[in-house]
Amino acid sequence: MNTALMLDALADKVHRQRARAMEIANLPAEQLLHRPAPGAWNTLEVMEHINLSSSMYVRGLEAVFRRDAAKYRPNTAFKPGYLGNWFTQGLQPGADGGIRWKMRTLKHFDPARQHGASLESIGKFIELCNRLLALLEQAHHTDLNKMRVASSLGPIIRFKAGDALRFPVAHQERHFLQIERMLSLVK
Amino acid sequence: MELVRHTIGRYVQPTEAEWARILPCWREFVFSRGAVVSAVGRIEQNFYIVKSGVQRLSFPFDGKDICVGFAYNGSWSGEYASFVTRTPARFEVAAVTDSELLGIGYSDLQQLYSELGIMERFGRLILEELLAGRAAREVEQLSLSAEERYERLLKRSPQLLQLVPQKDIASYLRMTPETFSRLRRKRW
Repeated sequence: MNTALMLDALADKVHRQRARAMEIANLPAEQLLHRPAPGAWNTLEVMEHINLSSSMYVRGLEAVFRRDAAKYRPNTAFKPGYLGNWFTQGLQPGADGGIRWKMRTLKHFDPARQHGASLESIGKFIELCNRLLALLEQAHHTDLNKMRVASSLGPIIRFKAGDALRFPVAHQERHFLQIERMLSLVK
Repeated sequence: MELVRHTIGRYVQPTEAEWARILPCWREFVFSRGAVVSAVGRIEQNFYIVKSGVQRLSFPFDGKDICVGFAYNGSWSGEYASFVTRTPARFEVAAVTDSELLGIGYSDLQQLYSELGIMERFGRLILEELLAGRAAREVEQLSLSAEERYERLLKRSPQLLQLVPQKDIASYLRMTPETFSRLRRKRW
């Protein structure tokens, strides 16, 4: 795929997610705390879940970019890795907007089993978007096929840098659908 | 902000002009259950009024978390000692249930104390209340049996038993979860 088009499409999504997060931060607490079912996550917990997962890619990319990005010449084409592509595709909602795969959350990324979620989780997400946008900008000037980053799926699976950008954005997109569904339940 | 007005209004009666100065200093905080409101080792930044939910005050000791108190609607929350002394917190405050808190920052509160005599009076009154409460609890801890302390808790805050995990209540009453569960069974 064309690197520049891919990066622009990702940046566009992150811009929209960030703008929406700023709106969500101002919603009444009852809405942010609403759980669609007794054991289910509320909006704040979904945000914190996104933070726990995405921050892993952001930190990994920042480190590898700092170390290696300058070594490679910009490449106009990005060829997704097999696993990176498979997992990113699996996150995409189907044509009907429904979730295609159900996934179990790893303990690492479950806010209830980490430090919990609060209004601050939304602020942290906005901050994370800023760092992602900076990475998407730097990504134009290097070769995303050449560098690899540990994935959130375990230490064995490493994504190409390009997939390490695609995956968190798709993951966030998926959870924003979940958030919108939840928020629409309590107006 | 109605709650801030109501809560402060229980102690002192500021004028409308004073309210206009006081109310904007308070901000809303939202914590999902399980979230840490104030972490051990960090300086508490806010003094809170509880709008909804229950928070647990506990302190880590010998590999366990010893629960020393709960905050719920209308009461104060946060790590007060750290807040006033500006030293690292020794207690953790965590949301036991989804919680909405209204908080005021340290410098804002100090500013209000120095600008408005009525707020300084408010500060003195809540401090007296906190101190008296602490003394009463100390007496309870030292003189009542586990069973009596449980009876006391049931009478004072029956709703707590529905909202808080039994292990926290057991820890608060300074008994093992097993003893607590035996006590409960005996009652029902």
